[in-house]
Amino acid sequence: MRHILIIDDEDDIREVAALSLEATAGWEIVTANSGAAGILAAANPTRRPHAILMDVMMPGMDGPTTFRQMQLNPEIAGIPVLLLTAKVQGVDQRRFADLGVAGVLFKPFDPLTLAAQISAALGWKD
Amino acid sequence: MTEAEDKTAALLAALWLKNRPIVDERMAVLEGAAAAACTGSLAEAQRKEAQSAAHKLAGALGMYGYDEGTRIARKLEMLLDEAAPDATTLAGLIAELRNAVLSKG
Repeated sequence: MRHILIIDDEDDIREVAALSLEATAGWEIVTANSGAAGILAAANPTRRPHAILMDVMMPGMDGPTTFRQMQLNPEIAGIPVLLLTAKVQGVDQRRFADLGVAGVLFKPFDPLTLAAQISAALGWKD
Repeated sequence: MTEAEDKTAALLAALWLKNRPIVDERMAVLEGAAAAACTGSLAEAQRKEAQSAAHKLAGALGMYGYDEGTRIARKLEMLLDEAAPDATTLAGLIAELRNAVLSKG
């Protein structure tokens, strides 16, 4: 079973994304409400996520900064990260792609197809 | 729809009702900014807070199947990016968004 870590400071987004992935794909979800909490959750050796879905705009440590911090830890640097953003400008997409993340998904997402979007972005066939 | 999709849609409808107070809080932030703009007293901090509320609404409303709400909230986010947003336009868009949210229930 896939394990996904969702990092977002907005309670309702975390809740809907988790519900969506659990109900439509049967994935196991862990959530964190900040970049710092997300790094700790990702590093948990008993529940290492197969992928991370992370908001871009968060207070304190934003998504790109959190991603760069994750890259400094060899134990979690290989976990694919998908950024979730409400920004749709091309310049943002290029900036995020340059970071080295596995992909960028856009808010508002469709809860019925979010799992399929993640699978497609990561090349998962199952 | 598959059974899983049906179940997800039903849970989403319940989550909309549960999270409706969050939407109302963000609408209140926007309406406070509009009131301040009408009296020429919209401070930068309040404008930024309202822009953040619009950004969050833009990201959230569509996931409940409410794309029109996202469209209006995006317009508000862009308008509130200006140092001195037009008060009439601001109030009009916020009223449009409020009516639209009310129509969803």
